[in-house]
Amino acid sequence: MEPAALEQPALEQEIAQLIIDTLNLEDLAATDIPVDQPLFGEGLGLDSVDALELALALQKRYGIRIESNAKHASQHFATIASLAAYVEVQRTACAS
Amino acid sequence: MADGGARTQHWATQKERGSFVLMKLTALAVRRLGRRPVTPVLYLIVLYFFVFGRQARRNVRQYQDYLSRWSNRPELRPRLRSVFGQFMAFADSLLDRLDVWSGKLRLEQVQLHDPAGLRERLLLSQHGGRGQILVGTHLGNLDVCRALAELGEQVPLNVLVHTHHVAHFHRLQGEAGDRSLRLLQVSEMDAALMLDLSQRLDRGEWLAIAGDRVPLHDGRRVMVDFLGHPAAFPQGPWLLAGLLRCPVNLLCCLKIDGRYQIRLEPFIEAPAWERGQREATIARWAQRYAERLAQLCLLAPLQWFNFYPYWQAPTSPSPAHPTSGESDAHPRRAAR
Repeated sequence: MEPAALEQPALEQEIAQLIIDTLNLEDLAATDIPVDQPLFGEGLGLDSVDALELALALQKRYGIRIESNAKHASQHFATIASLAAYVEVQRTACAS
Repeated sequence: MADGGARTQHWATQKERGSFVLMKLTALAVRRLGRRPVTPVLYLIVLYFFVFGRQARRNVRQYQDYLSRWSNRPELRPRLRSVFGQFMAFADSLLDRLDVWSGKLRLEQVQLHDPAGLRERLLLSQHGGRGQILVGTHLGNLDVCRALAELGEQVPLNVLVHTHHVAHFHRLQGEAGDRSLRLLQVSEMDAALMLDLSQRLDRGEWLAIAGDRVPLHDGRRVMVDFLGHPAAFPQGPWLLAGLLRCPVNLLCCLKIDGRYQIRLEPFIEAPAWERGQREATIARWAQRYAERLAQLCLLAPLQWFNFYPYWQAPTSPSPAHPTSGESDAHPRRAAR
C-alpha cells in the first residue's frame, strides 16, 4: 500500500512475528500474512481487543507510544505494511 | 425489558451523586463537631432515605430475597428490620470511611485474613517485584483496604475508577485528609492507557478495580448467574488481567462483630486465553467471581452496598448501553 513501508521487509517480518506471538496464532508463519492483507474484519479477523493487545506489545517492543486517536489508529493498524510504516515514524519521533 | 415505571437507573448517575452530597455534609460536620454528635444526624438522614427511597428499598429486598433463596437460609429472608439494617450498615460504613481517611482507624485495629500470604507479595513488589491486580467489591468497606495499602504498607495503589462522579467522591476524600491515593479515571481502554498500566505494574505498583459494577460508557459486560439470577458484570478486570498478563487477587473488607476484617485471596494466577476463546474465558472468570462474591455475601449479608437495581432484565447479551444517552444525562431526580 505505502511504498515507504515496502522498503523495510525486515521490520514487517518482525511485526508479523510479533502479531503471531502476541495473539497466539501458532498455526501461522510470519510469511503467511501478506503485508497488505487487512488485519481486521474479514482479513486476519482481529478485533478491538486484539488491537489493544497488539498495541501494547508494539509499544513495549519498539519503545514507542501509540496515542489513542481511534480514527488514525484504525488506519495505522489496517495492514502489516501500514503498521510497519507507523512504527518507523513513531520510533523516529520518540527517539528524538 | 423493564417496564416504563421501573426504568432502570444506572448506579453511576443515581447512587453516587446522592451519597456524594451526603458525604460532603457529613465530612464537614464530623470535622467541625466530631463523630459522636454527627452519628444520630446521619442515622436520621439514612432513615429519610429508607422511608422515601422506595426503589432502593425494593432493590435491597430483592438482594436479600435472592441471597436467602440461593443459600437456602430462610433466616436471611427480607424483613422490614433487615432491609433497614442494610441501610444502617451503609451509614455506619460512611462514618467509618471518614475515620479511615483521617487516619483515626489504625491498621492494628484491622484483622487481616490472608491465608495465601498475599501481603508478603505486596511488600515484595516494593523490592523489584511486579505488581498485581486487586479486584474489589462493594460488599463491605473498600476504603479500609486502601488504608492498608497506602498508609500502612506504603505500597503504591492505583485505583481505577469509571466516572467523574466517583472522581468527585474521591476529591472529598482528599479533603478529609487522605491525599496519598492515586486515582486513574478510566473511561475507555486504549493503547496509551494499557502501556501506562503495564509500566506501573513493572514498577511494582498495584492496580485496584471493582469487579461488581458495570461501567456506564463501556459496553464490555458479561451476563453471569449471581445468587441464582442473571446479572451483568463488568468484563474490565478480567480483560485487563489477560491483556497485562497479571495475576488477579480478590480483596474485600467486611465488618464482622464490630471489627474490620480484610480478606485477601488469590483468584487467577496466570490469566491467559486461547486464541478464539477470549469471550468464553472471560465469561468463565466472571462467573467464578460471581460465585465467590455470593459466598462472601453470606459472611456479611447486610453489607451489600449496591442499592441500585442489580439484576436487570437481560436486554441483550451483546454490548449495549443500559439506557439511552439522553436519559443518562437527565436521571430522574428521585423515585419518590
